[in-house]
Amino acid sequence: MNTAKSKGLSLCPKCHKLNSLTTEPQQCRRCHGLFYQRKRNSLQYTLAWNVAALIAFIPANLYPIMIVYQLGIPSDATILSGIGEFIDHGLYPIAIIIFTASIIVPLIKIIGLFVLVYKAHTGIRLKPNKHSKIYHILEFLGPWSMLDVFVVALMVTVVELGFVTSVAAGPAINYFTITVIFTMFAANSFDPRLLWDKKADKKTTEQALLPSDKLLENLLGTLPEEKGQK
Amino acid sequence: MNSKINPIFFVACQQCDALYDKPQLKQGQLAKCNRCGSTLIERKVDSIERSFNWSLAGLMLMLPAILLPIMGVTLAGQFHQASLFDCILVLIDRGFFMIACLVFLFAIAVPIVRLAGALYISYSFKFNKLKPSLLNFFRAYHYLDNWAMLNVFMLGIVVSMYKLIDDTELSVNLGLFAFVFWLICSTMSAAALDQDYIWDKLERAFPRSCANEHC
Ligand SMILES: [Zn+2]
Ligand SMILES: [Zn+2]
Repeated sequence: MNTAKSKGLSLCPKCHKLNSLTTEPQQCRRCHGLFYQRKRNSLQYTLAWNVAALIAFIPANLYPIMIVYQLGIPSDATILSGIGEFIDHGLYPIAIIIFTASIIVPLIKIIGLFVLVYKAHTGIRLKPNKHSKIYHILEFLGPWSMLDVFVVALMVTVVELGFVTSVAAGPAINYFTITVIFTMFAANSFDPRLLWDKKADKKTTEQALLPSDKLLENLLGTLPEEKGQK
Repeated sequence: MNSKINPIFFVACQQCDALYDKPQLKQGQLAKCNRCGSTLIERKVDSIERSFNWSLAGLMLMLPAILLPIMGVTLAGQFHQASLFDCILVLIDRGFFMIACLVFLFAIAVPIVRLAGALYISYSFKFNKLKPSLLNFFRAYHYLDNWAMLNVFMLGIVVSMYKLIDDTELSVNLGLFAFVFWLICSTMSAAALDQDYIWDKLERAFPRSCANEHC
C-alpha cells in the first residue's frame, strides 16, 4: 500500500490539501497554515491529557453534582446516586442514558485511548482497521458526556421557585467538565495514521525482501470505489 | 523519484494516509478509502445554495431560540420559566461561573459562529465575492468542528424534562420548538458545506503568491 508519507507527501490537516513535504513544519500551499507530517508527539500528548482526565474523574464522582433544596433543606446527589434515584422512580431509559453519558462514555474513552496509545507504541496485536474504527467511535462519543452538565445547568435555571424548591450545582460539575474537555483534547491529539504506520513498519521488517515489481503492482491496483446517486 | 510526484494528481486518506490517484467525481458521488473505509473526497449536491439557505434560516431562528423560554415549571402555585439566555444569567447570578461559560460557549457562541461562518462563506461563493481573507477564515472555521454541542444540549433538555415531570407541572414553551429548528438548521448547514469544493475554488482564485514561495 502506497502512503503519502512514503512518497514524501503530506496532507494538510485543516484543508486536506496534499503538499509535497520539503521542510517540517511545512507551510500548506493552499491555506498557508503550518503543519507536520504526523501530529507532533501525538502519543505523549494523548497520554498526558488522558491521565489528567482520569485524575479529574475521581473527584467528579466523589463530590455531589447537584444539591436540591426543598423548603430550605439541602440534599446532595452525586452522579451515581442521581442515577440510583431514577432507578428507584422506575425511569429506566433516563437512568441508562445518564449512566452511559456520564460514567460509561468517559471511562470507555479514557481506557480506549490508553489501549490505542499502547497499541500504536508497541504494535502488539495491532489491527489498524479495527482500531481506527474504535478511535472514530471514541471521537464521536466525546461531546455526549457533557449531557449531565447541561442537565444540571438547566435544572438550576428552571427550578428556581424561591423557598419551595431550588437546585444548586455541586463542586463535582467542574471536575466533570474538566474530565470531558480533557478527554476531548486527548482524542484530538491522537493521530490514527500512527496505527497504520506502525503496522506497515512491522510488515516491512517481517518481509524485508519483497520484489520491487510486486510493490509497484500493489500500489497501482487501488482505485476508489464510487457511490452513484442522482 | 520522490521529487517527481506532483501532489495535484493524488489524494491521500485523512485517516490512514493511503495514497490514491485523484478521482474525478460528479455531484453526489463520493470516493472511499480501500484500506480504512473513510471518505476520501465527496462532492455534495448544490452545496453552496443549500448551506446558504440553511444557515440563513438558522440565523433567523437564533434569537427566538435563545430568548424565548424553553420550558416552565409550576410547583405549589409558583410558576417559573426559563430561556437559554436566562440559563446563563441565573448561572452567573448564583456563582456557577464555569458552567455558565461552558453553556454559553457550547450551546450559544460556537453554534452562532459556525452558522455565521457558513453563511459568510456560502454568501461569498454565491455572489462571487471571493477575498483572500476567506482562506484564513475557512481555516479557522474548522477549529470549531467538534465544539458545537447543540444536539447534546437538546438531549439535556429532554432528560431534565423527564426529571421534572415527576413532581412538578411542566409546560413546554415556544422556545423549545425554535431551539429544535435551530438545531436542525445548524446541523444541515454544516453538513451541506462541501469543503473540498470550497478549498478547490479558493485555491484556484488565489494561487499562492510568490512572496510566500522559497524563491
Ligand atoms: Zn492547508
Ligand atoms: Zn484510509
